[in-house]
Amino acid sequence: MTKPLDVDRKMPIVKKAVSNPYPLKESAIVKWSLITISLLYISLFLILPLISIFVTALEKGWETYVASIVHPDALAAIKLTITVALIVVPLNAVFGIAAAWLITKFTFRGKNLLVTLIDLPFAVSPVIAGLIFILLFGAQGLFGDWLFEHDIKIVFALPGIILATLFVTFPFVARELIPLMQTQGITEEEASISLGASGWKTFFYVTLPNIKWGLLYGLILCNARAIGEFGAVSVVSGHIRGETNTMPLHIEILYNEYQFTAAFAVASIMSILAILTIIIKHIASWKAKEF
Amino acid sequence: MLYLSFIVILPLSMIVVNTLSMSWGEFFETITHPRAVASYKLSFGSALAAGLINVIFGTIIAWVLIRYDFPGKKIIDGLVDLPFALPTAVAGIALTTLYAPSGWIGKFFDFKISYTPLGIVIALTFIGLPFVVRTVQPVLQNLGREVEEASASLGANRFQTFVKVILPELYPAMITGFSLAFSRSLGEYGSVVFIAGNMPMKTEITPLIIMTKLEQYDYVGATAIAVVMLVGSFIILLFINLIQWRMNRKFNY
Amino acid sequence: MGIQIKNVSKSFGSVKVLKDISVDIKSGELIALLGPSGSGKTTLLRILAGLEGLDEGTILFDGEDITNVSPKERKIGFVFQHYALFRHMNVFENVAYGLKVRPRKTRPSKKEIERKVNELLSLVKLENFQDRYPSQLSGGQRQRVALARALAVEPKVLLLDEPFGALDAKVRKELRRWLRQLHNEFHVTSIFVTHDQEEALDVADRIIVMNNGKIEQIGTPDEVYENPKSPFVYDFLGNVNIFRGRLQNGKLKQGQFEINAPHYLDSHDDAVGYARPHDILIEKEQVDNETVPAKISFIHIVGPTARIELKREDNGEYLEAELPKEQFKNLQIQKGEVVYVRPKQLKVFIPEDFSI
Repeated sequence: MTKPLDVDRKMPIVKKAVSNPYPLKESAIVKWSLITISLLYISLFLILPLISIFVTALEKGWETYVASIVHPDALAAIKLTITVALIVVPLNAVFGIAAAWLITKFTFRGKNLLVTLIDLPFAVSPVIAGLIFILLFGAQGLFGDWLFEHDIKIVFALPGIILATLFVTFPFVARELIPLMQTQGITEEEASISLGASGWKTFFYVTLPNIKWGLLYGLILCNARAIGEFGAVSVVSGHIRGETNTMPLHIEILYNEYQFTAAFAVASIMSILAILTIIIKHIASWKAKEF
Repeated sequence: MLYLSFIVILPLSMIVVNTLSMSWGEFFETITHPRAVASYKLSFGSALAAGLINVIFGTIIAWVLIRYDFPGKKIIDGLVDLPFALPTAVAGIALTTLYAPSGWIGKFFDFKISYTPLGIVIALTFIGLPFVVRTVQPVLQNLGREVEEASASLGANRFQTFVKVILPELYPAMITGFSLAFSRSLGEYGSVVFIAGNMPMKTEITPLIIMTKLEQYDYVGATAIAVVMLVGSFIILLFINLIQWRMNRKFNY
Repeated sequence: MGIQIKNVSKSFGSVKVLKDISVDIKSGELIALLGPSGSGKTTLLRILAGLEGLDEGTILFDGEDITNVSPKERKIGFVFQHYALFRHMNVFENVAYGLKVRPRKTRPSKKEIERKVNELLSLVKLENFQDRYPSQLSGGQRQRVALARALAVEPKVLLLDEPFGALDAKVRKELRRWLRQLHNEFHVTSIFVTHDQEEALDVADRIIVMNNGKIEQIGTPDEVYENPKSPFVYDFLGNVNIFRGRLQNGKLKQGQFEINAPHYLDSHDDAVGYARPHDILIEKEQVDNETVPAKISFIHIVGPTARIELKREDNGEYLEAELPKEQFKNLQIQKGEVVYVRPKQLKVFIPEDFSI
């Protein structure tokens, strides 16, 4: 009690507070071996594959790399993939918001069933996802004859690819928004409506700003899957070069024709997109946490 | 709702409709064909193996990311999402090349990895990793320090605290992560076809059998196999949910 | 076990949470660490438990330096504010945990553990709950399990961090009485943290009042309540009325009002007088200058006491008086009436670094 207090006030605190190390923390050996195991595992399964894509793509120099990308078939694949993403992502965004809104802000019968149905595409193999659209719209399918008579092509054409991609990416946005909107509750909406705002205004001024980062997060995942979907699209596309080949399918064809450099060149573009996706995703989740 | 029915329910119901058009004998013959049966075993076995590997290492990675600080941690944390973001076909060709006998990693082993069941397990491990890490991570994050402190104040050492107090708290998340990774692996196609080698009876996974039948315009046969897959994964998920439900009953505050 | 805390300091980053704390605690005492949030009381408790390290100072248990001893070797029992029960273990397993994790050599036999746990469960009156899980218990029951769990390891010191903080008022009172009884029975040195002055006054043998990482006062409940050493303690323990003024010739003066302040014969500073509501007398006529005129703004009668709120006529400040109902009736006063308020007992402090 007798120690002069002003000493304490003036001295900057240099010493770091050390918690009792033994029972509350692991020893340094355990800590660093766990870190090493994790790093090794991630290098082996994630980092090395990523690096190998770029190395293989550039193996034969920039010229070959550029040539593989500006090849008409490759450009057509890129165009198709962008088209698909541009159609699928907004559609699923609208649906995802609507479904999450319905599920979190209202109570109604069959709500649990709806939640299960939204998740369903996650549990179904992409190949089966493709298969069901063949069964519906294929030549022998349910609507096959009718479509043939009216000369409408769905399977082995753009509409089929879009449908299959829609199915596979269906849950992403809703899945991301439901828990978010659940924790936010409906008090703010009620306040807004009690202050005289209309339903739409409430949505745009209250709900949307609250969920924007979660929405972005869902959209970015949805987009990544839409661009990269392989199994489902592979079934319904028919693999017509320059017409119904998306980027992943184009990669497959090149790879199977032993054009490795070209395959990896296209793959490297998709990897850059993937890395961008991860970066945006993390920014979105940081921003979402700030709320 | 119309949208949901059009995109999800109607297409899926086609599976049932198409199966009903088959006779029982035909159906049974298709799904018990030796090639099909071998593929079930392979798909199931490799998904199980990959799931288990990921539960162990995924939990370690989640632990390291939450509890420790080290240089490059943020980058590692971001990289965990790579399998979510990278197209499966891209992952497939990259892994195949790496683990091929002449590949960067494959050349260090005197046995083949690519084009064997081991290769399939590797591809599925890649696909499933983020599921485990991302389900265990938040649980670990929210786990109060208090229970660990209580354990220490009662005289437990760090290992006892981990095994008896922390791990039981993580089990539900680990099981969820496992079931997500497992069900994704079961149906995975893109990353596996390249590395599998696709030899009938040996390295042919079930989704590939469906694909092959489709290419031969055997829609009915493809549907039959699809039914087996759907029912199979449904039963497994039900089983996992049952375990979780039993654990959760006594668990929730 | 006696505890000596010597010159303990602790910072989190650049925030000093404990500033040179020294306390002696005698064996078998029941001590309350009382203070507002952020006063450092919980940190001090956690340092005693070994859950937190300290920057400077030493801690002695029965004369032995245990500053760098791990919690598992300190022979302490710690009860957490939010119970920190292991939710995947039932009540029996929770209580048995501390015994089961002992190294084989010192671990009691299974039967012995069972006997011990049953004994403790009957002590906390939860014999019939041993198969329940924490989620199936009420808050009060959970806290009793937490106590039994802490007692199972036969601690030499029992440390409780806001043990009743998360419980509702009625259960709180019950558990408080029960803790007192338990302590009378076992006489294990116990220290509990609380921000509830009533709880501290009700249960503890001695109270350590903390503020801003420093000890304001140590004493029995009676001492701290009746003879607060600082304005902070005065204010923190119970309601208080404030009379501002200037010291002059041993009197605190403000306008007409002047009252004896014999401790400050030579001071001529601004000063503040403190009086508890029950130390305020109400008179209908002005007899001398030791009263201030005030208008009754509110009368509230609860049970045997009448609470009267008054607004001073001279400076508009509010005062609060508490008197027995009988006395109130005899006075025959009404809302709106102007009366004269006499602080029966006024404690005067010269403000230094505090502000109220």
